[in-house]
Formats: sequence, structure tokens, C-alpha cells
Amino acid sequence: MARSPSLGRRTVLRGATLGAGATVLLARHGRAAADQPHYGGTLRVAYQLAPGAIDPVVGRSGGDAYYWRQFTDPLVDADPALNPRAATSLAESWDVSDPKSVTLKLRKGVVFHDGTPFDAAAVKFNIERLLDPATKATPRAAFGPVESVEALDEHLVRFRLKRPWGSVLGTLADRGGAMNSPAAVKALGADYAFKPVSTGPFKVAEYVSGSKVRFVRNEKYWGRDEAGNPLPYLDEIVMNIVPSETVQVSALKAGELDLIYLPYREVGNFLSSSTYNIQSFEGGAIACTLSFNWAKPPMDNVNLRLALATAINAEGINKAAFFGRAIVAKGGMWPTGAWAYDPTVPRPSYSIAKAKEYLAAGGKPGGFEMDALFWPSETNTAFAEIIRAQCAAVGIKLNLKSAEVTVATEKFYYGGEAPMFITSWSRYPEPDWNASLIYRSDGYYNAGKVKNEKLDALVDEGAATVDIPRRKQIYRQVDEIVLGKAMMVPLIYGVTYAAAQKAVMGVENVFGWDAKMYLHRMWLKKA
Amino acid sequence: MQRYILRRLAQLVPTLLLITMMVFALMHAIPGDPARMMVGAGDALDEAQLAVVRREYNLDRPVPVQYALWLGRALTGDLGRSSANQRRVGEELLLRASVTFELGLFAWLIAAAIAIPAGVIAAVHRGRVPDFAATLVAVGAVAMPGFWVGIMLILVFGVHLRWLPTQGYVPLGTDLADGLRHMVLPAIALGITSAALMMRQMRSALLEVMSLDFIRTARAKGLAKWPIVLGHALRNAMLPVVTVMGLEVGRIFAGAVVIETLFGVPGMGRLMVQAVFQHDFMVVQGSVLVMATAVLAANFITDILYTVLDPRIRYGA
Repeated sequence: MARSPSLGRRTVLRGATLGAGATVLLARHGRAAADQPHYGGTLRVAYQLAPGAIDPVVGRSGGDAYYWRQFTDPLVDADPALNPRAATSLAESWDVSDPKSVTLKLRKGVVFHDGTPFDAAAVKFNIERLLDPATKATPRAAFGPVESVEALDEHLVRFRLKRPWGSVLGTLADRGGAMNSPAAVKALGADYAFKPVSTGPFKVAEYVSGSKVRFVRNEKYWGRDEAGNPLPYLDEIVMNIVPSETVQVSALKAGELDLIYLPYREVGNFLSSSTYNIQSFEGGAIACTLSFNWAKPPMDNVNLRLALATAINAEGINKAAFFGRAIVAKGGMWPTGAWAYDPTVPRPSYSIAKAKEYLAAGGKPGGFEMDALFWPSETNTAFAEIIRAQCAAVGIKLNLKSAEVTVATEKFYYGGEAPMFITSWSRYPEPDWNASLIYRSDGYYNAGKVKNEKLDALVDEGAATVDIPRRKQIYRQVDEIVLGKAMMVPLIYGVTYAAAQKAVMGVENVFGWDAKMYLHRMWLKKA
Repeated sequence: MQRYILRRLAQLVPTLLLITMMVFALMHAIPGDPARMMVGAGDALDEAQLAVVRREYNLDRPVPVQYALWLGRALTGDLGRSSANQRRVGEELLLRASVTFELGLFAWLIAAAIAIPAGVIAAVHRGRVPDFAATLVAVGAVAMPGFWVGIMLILVFGVHLRWLPTQGYVPLGTDLADGLRHMVLPAIALGITSAALMMRQMRSALLEVMSLDFIRTARAKGLAKWPIVLGHALRNAMLPVVTVMGLEVGRIFAGAVVIETLFGVPGMGRLMVQAVFQHDFMVVQGSVLVMATAVLAANFITDILYTVLDPRIRYGA
């Protein structure tokens, strides 16, 4: 797809102005705040899962971000809606106007934690490392459009592309955009996975297997706050691995932790108490969605899918499984807060009468019976049971089958073992990640590998388009097809809640665009 | 005696081999492509990367060959690298096993320290208030699941009284006092069921011995009650109790899985459960080896203790 030079310049400009805009806004906010950030102290945080790896590139769990976010900076950072933000990025500006290349102008004076310089050669090394199959890098597929990387000069790097890359900026904000020290990677080999060296505000000091990760302040960090003070404020972060949510909550109450994510059932209690700082993030996940195998009867029948979608009362699920603390989904698979979110697309909504009409149109006026796969957790088991009960009301009998999450995922998408999967989905604000993987005929999450030529064309166009307003239009058309044919039926958007002790400041900055924890700007009030 | 010990030791080897072989076979019996299973569900890795995984873990070779390769390396102390996180399995297990061992030992000691005196008192005061009280508590302890006891302990001693930390682990070598404080609640939660079972065993064994002729003779000779109980009856009654105490080692290991998760203790139990879910073959295989060795060792020690407690027992000598 050809792009005019003028558009190119505008695109570059947008990166720069957005960055500046963000700074101005934050500066105003900073002046308004009465408290002057205080340096020092240890922040004690808890997270449920041990890291699969701390090196962002080789870890395969989405939860690894809780660890690597603290000691890395992305090449191109993004605000919570996934708009690029230069002020906090390793690249000062970028040019994505040429469909055959992406050029990044790198920030000067940035060094890795080991003192080696961050420059174009380091970027080249990093991208080539993750493209090498032997690295077994998780983001390799996301960098599929990259043909080669050249260091044009010390601070200018260019990716040559095989095909246009519309999702480039979002992708560079994710794990593949975090930079690792080439010297450390070469020196440590496979052991690098738990001893990473990057550019971020904190350094990894220690990993105690299964117990905690300790981060200490990077004295040489390049980042400044709005008043020009060096970041970060904290001396140390201890990320404790506490698998039980119940225990996290009691440890926070006992004063052993400073900051946790709250389980839904606790949100009411915490909001009614004034002992903690509470922050929430809407659309932190798609907390409950129906996924179908479009090739497997009876879910190959669009009317029967619509019957199912209209038989379900999402409001009831929110009340019973999420204690009323999540949001009923009004759009598609890119949730509230993402730029691609569009609540105006028509979608099936709860109506028993409609469900019965669709059943009749689908040739099963009396209802039907089928298997539905889910993976058990406190919340998931609750919503799976509610969905079964609601479907029974219109004569659809679901036989719930459960399996552990990886097994269930593999069974459904790879094995094609059931017509329906009741599951939850991560927050993927860059629309191409979901579009290419779910809606494209060769996508992993297209369980039946069903081909819809119009969708394929739209997905490809979206993937190749850089301009955000244009992409919005494309993904609106995608949603019209997907929701209109009940191909995916997101029911509940999650709300992520964080609770901190009163002395913890900067909690308003704790959520990044991926709803994961960012502790870059936290500080502790003196007791 | 020496010959007996050597023979028992030699018997351990084929048992261990059999256990590792079975686990290896079971892990490979899981339907599906082992390379895909190892890297996890979804689109995480593509075909070119999966090919690397297959080569690295010898998944392209027949299962018996894979087992032989694993065993050969294991004999030299190399248990391979985890497929989930690339860490060396040997190092990881050493760290984790020592934590579980510490926790298990505490739980077991606490259990024994409660069970033996309580069992003796219940037996001596048979049919009276102390006996009923001990029985009631024991039945309750057996009926309450360990994780529930754990949550109650956290709420009472951690959140309300704030006497003890609710989660986490501090190595005893780093800070002895703090390490012990972190260990108390999980050890009680883990040991309480075993304590109840040991106590019941102690009580009934002691009652049986107390009804034997030599005790009546001792009484007839005018010996006081407690010297009879402690000096003559207890040692004879210990035999079945030691059996149960040995068996409880296995149960404590199994219970550690839940208790470690609840209290955030980085032990073997959690490592192994995670590894099973992630199809991390090398870690599963390594942990089974360590756990099986520990349980077999406990049984071995129990057998040796028999001969010490009761000189009449000399197996096959």
C-alpha cells in the first residue's frame, strides 16, 4: 500500500507532539499535587505467578510483564489507550510512513545497567536475537514483517519490512520492544533468562526461586519527572510471589505488603474503607467471552450462535460472578479504553424472545444440546455455571467440560474438540493482535480455520495500515461482521483494581496500557 | 545388622529406577505433541522454534532412548534444564527441596511433640476428661482440611493479632529468628492432621501395652504409675507409632503442595505442581526423583529404628 510523503511527515510529527502533549499534561498535574515526591524506601508488592523468565523476550507467560516492566523501557511507549508516547520511549521519534521500512531515532545518552551504551547496534542485536528461532523468543511471530535491521548511524535504526506493518508501534510497546544488553546476553547464555540487564528505572538485584524478585534503583536512569527530578523515587521494590489472592489480601491488611491487585469479591469491602488508596482500570481484560469453533456443528450455524448469544444475560453474570464490579461488554474484542473500542457497533443483546426466534430460524425450535469447554477458577466456574443455567431457559443444554487452562486452550483451538469455549481473554489493545489470530483464516484462535474472504481482506488491510483514524474504520467493519454473526461474543469486560497502603503515592500511574503493574513512578510518604 | 542395612539399601535402587521410568512413560503418554505441550498452549512459538525445542530435548528420538539419555546425565548429576524457564533443574531442586525439607521437618516435629504426650495422657486417663478432650481435638484435626486450618491461622495470628507473618519464607541461615517466625503457621497447618493420627496411634498402642502381664507385674511389685508408663510401657508402645510416623513423612510431602501455595513458601510441592501443569518434563522428572528418594529414605530409617526399639526384630538375619 503506497503512502504519500505528506502523510509520512504527519505521522512522524504525531509521535513528537503526542509526546510533548503528554508531558505538558503531566506537568500540570504534577504542580497541582500538594505532595513533593519523596526519595527512598522499599515498596513491597505481591503477584500471583512466579515469572516464566524475567528476560522479557524468552518468558512465555503474559504475567511476566509484572516483572520485566519494572526494569525495561519500550522502544516506543504507549499511553493506556495505546497511543504512542515519545516522552517515556527509548526512541525520540519514528517514521512509519514507508510501507517497506520503519525508522527509529534513538534517545541519546541512555546506557544499559551494565554501563554499555544503548545505541542502534544494540537495537539491531536485540531484534535479530528475537528473530533467531534458537532464542525461542515469544514475540518472534509479532515481528514477522521484519526482513532485516540496519544501524544507519549511532542513534538511527531502520527495520526493512517484508510487508507493511500497521501494528508496529503497539508491538514495540510490548515485550519485543524491551531492550537487553548485548554484552550481558552474550556473556550469560541460557542463564540470562533470570539475570537480565536492560535500560529501565530499576535493576534486577536478585531472584529467589518461587519466592520473590528484588529490584534496586538504577542510579544511571535517563528518565526525569515533570519537574526535572531524576526517576525513580524508590530505592527498592520487592515483588513477592504470593499465589493465593486470599493471602495477598490478608497480608496487605496485616501490613506486610504495600500494593496488591484486588480480587473482585474484596472490592466492595475495600472501597467502603478509607484505609487504602484504591485505583481501578476499566477494560483490564475481557473477563468472560464465548469463543466458537465456526466449523463444528451446531456452532457452524449462525442462527444457533445468535440464539445462544441472546439467551445470555451478561448483567446477571456480572452480578453473580463478578460481584457487580466488572462491566457488561458493549463492543468487541478490543475493550474499553483501547482506541479501537467501538460501542456503537450493533451486537446481540439479551432477549429470550429473540433467542427463540433464532432457534427456530436455525432449525432447532425446541433447542439443542452440545459440549462447552471451560477452565476452572473461582470466577470462571461461576460464570460457566450461570451460562449453562441461562441457556437451559431457552432449551439449549450445555454439557460443561473442564480442563486446566493450557490443556483446554490447546484442546479447543488446536484439537477442535468442542463447538464452544467459555473463557477469558487478555487485554490486547492493538487490534491486529486479536484480528490476525482470531479472525484470519489461518489464525491460531480460529479453531475451525474457517475462511471468510471479506474478513481476511479487512484484517490484512488493518495490519498494513498505520494511520489510526483509518484503522478505526477498518476495525469497525471487522466488529460489524464478528458481532453481527456472533463469531466471538465478549460478555464481560474486566475492571482491574489495585489497593495500596495510604503511604504509597503515585498509585494513579500503576496501570500501563496492558493493565499490568508499572512501578516507575511510585513513592512512599514518610511515616 | 550391617548386612541387613546393605541389603535394604540395595533394594532402593531398582525401586527408584522403576519410579523414574514410570513417570517418564506417563509424561510421554499425555496425548498431543510433547514439544507443543512443553511450550504451552496458544501461538507462543512457531514451527521453526518448535523444531529447536524438539532437538534440544531429544523429542525427535524414541522414548526409551530419551529415558536412557536422561538417566545417563542424571547419574552425572545433570538433571537438564527446565523447558518452561530454562533454569537448571538440579540447582532449582536443591533450593526448593531444602525449603520443603525444612517445612516438613518442622511440621513433623510439631506433630510428634503434640501427639506423643497427648496420646500418653489420653491413655493414662482413659475414659476421663483428658481422654475425651484429646479425642475430640484429634477428630476435629483429622476432619479439618489443612488449607482451611491455614487460612484460620492466618486470620487469627496474622491479621487480627499480628503476632506472626502470614506469608513468605526467610531462610534460617539468613535470619534464624525471622525464619522460624515465618515457619510456625505453615508447619502447624501442615502437621496438625499428622499430629492427630499419631496421637490416636499412641493412645491405642499404649493402652494395649498397659493391659499386658508385665505391666501388671510391675504394678504388683508396687511401682508408681508414671515410672511404669514412661519406663516400661512407652518404649514397647512406640513400635506402631514409629510406623505411623514414618508413613506420615509421605503425607507431609503431599500436604506441602497445598500449604506451600497458601503461605507462599517456595518449596518442592509448588514447583512440581506447576511443572506438571506446564508439562515441564525435566522438572517433573527431577522432583519425582527427589521426593521418591525422600520417602524411601524415611521408610528405610523407620525399618532401622524398629531394630533399635525392639531387639527381637532382626529381619532375615
